[in-house]
Amino acid sequence: MDHSILQKRFFDHALGKKILSCIQCGTCSASCPLNENMDHAPREIFALIRDGHMEEVLRSNTPWFCVSCYNCMSRCPKEIPVTDIMYMLKQMATELGLAPKTHKMQDMYHIFHKDIERHGRVSAIHLMSRYGMKHPGDMLGKMSLGLQLFKKNRLEISPQKIKHPQHLACMLGEKAKK
Amino acid sequence: MTYGFYPGCAYKTEAVYKHSVEAVCRVIGLELVTINDWNCCGATSIFSLDQMDGLVLTGRIFALAARQKLDTIITTCNACYTTLRKASKTFKTEPELTRRVNERLAIEGLAITTLPPVRHLLDVWSHDIDEALWSRKRAANFKPMKVASYYGCQLTRPWADIDDPEHPQIMDNFIARLGYEPVEHGAKTVCCGASHFITYEDSCRTLCERIVNEIKRKGGQAISTLCPLCQINIDAVQEKQRGPSLPVPYFTQLAGLSLGLPPSILGMDKLLTPMQTAGLKF
Repeated sequence: MDHSILQKRFFDHALGKKILSCIQCGTCSASCPLNENMDHAPREIFALIRDGHMEEVLRSNTPWFCVSCYNCMSRCPKEIPVTDIMYMLKQMATELGLAPKTHKMQDMYHIFHKDIERHGRVSAIHLMSRYGMKHPGDMLGKMSLGLQLFKKNRLEISPQKIKHPQHLACMLGEKAKK
Repeated sequence: MTYGFYPGCAYKTEAVYKHSVEAVCRVIGLELVTINDWNCCGATSIFSLDQMDGLVLTGRIFALAARQKLDTIITTCNACYTTLRKASKTFKTEPELTRRVNERLAIEGLAITTLPPVRHLLDVWSHDIDEALWSRKRAANFKPMKVASYYGCQLTRPWADIDDPEHPQIMDNFIARLGYEPVEHGAKTVCCGASHFITYEDSCRTLCERIVNEIKRKGGQAISTLCPLCQINIDAVQEKQRGPSLPVPYFTQLAGLSLGLPPSILGMDKLLTPMQTAGLKF
């Protein structure tokens, strides 16, 4: 993919332009709770974008490990909306099909999206069982927790729904674009 | 006093928040009018995939609230709180995006016409209710204990308006009003890992244990929470941790106990770590 096109697309966005003021101090990287899991911590991401390595950035797992804690954003001395830029990178990577397929948060988000399309609301038990079918290993360690919640009547088997989920589904995603 | 209310998906079942919110609101004379047919706000998940979908979900909530002429939207979940506030800011500043969202909402005959302020219930109880009411209504047999407030991320960040983004006091002050002894500690806004706890448990376990250990070091007997995701993560992580566990009630449950409401109607039995471990006898 042509880097200059990707880079232009990033900087055409008002949020993208904000990283031009980054002074590479690393406050964002140091403030990130899951930085150890990332291919590149946020400071490096901004350096890579400015150097034109846009595809590497979009293929990296970094934005998918962003938990939206907003630590980086509230601490940045140049007031760069780091968390919002991570959202923008996730959306861009999804749209271009460059998001790292092995990152489990993507499965989580897509299952979440499906649950909303079907019911308008999300029920933990549906989310967990669908996710568990894709990643049984992750669910094994949570069986005891699930059982405890179930015993305490904290999981409802029938999904909670809005009145006309099909109307909402028409407003979302691909269906709305047609 | 009457306020519009957005419950969010976890409120009734998983979170078991509903019992204590409703019971305390009845005692203090605060009426919550639920937004009819509310949908999921999309939280961090949908905004990670598609901005437009996230705005349609949040836009529908604002449009429904407008139809009921609600002038405030109260939430009890940090994620709903920040998601709705962020969307509201977008609708205020991006007329073209708002127009496109309204086009989609028209399928149900809805439109974003007003953007009432979004507030957390803790903010409302702290600022809109007479401070003296809590001590006046306090149960005669109330037993104080040391409570550490855990705020999580999305109440004070990115906003930094209702309180300091990293060292907030609002819940500590509220807890003190209820008669508890607030515990100062350094993990008030340390991230619990949120939904990453499901997918990358080991990493998030480290985050949650750091919070629990800091509170234990500072002598807390219970951890007060205000977000369903924080509650479950901090409560669940302790099962596999060494040493005695600390109960993780909502600030609403602590308020109910202070008012002398029966623990059963506050959903106290639904907590994974029972309150009795904090030396409290029911």
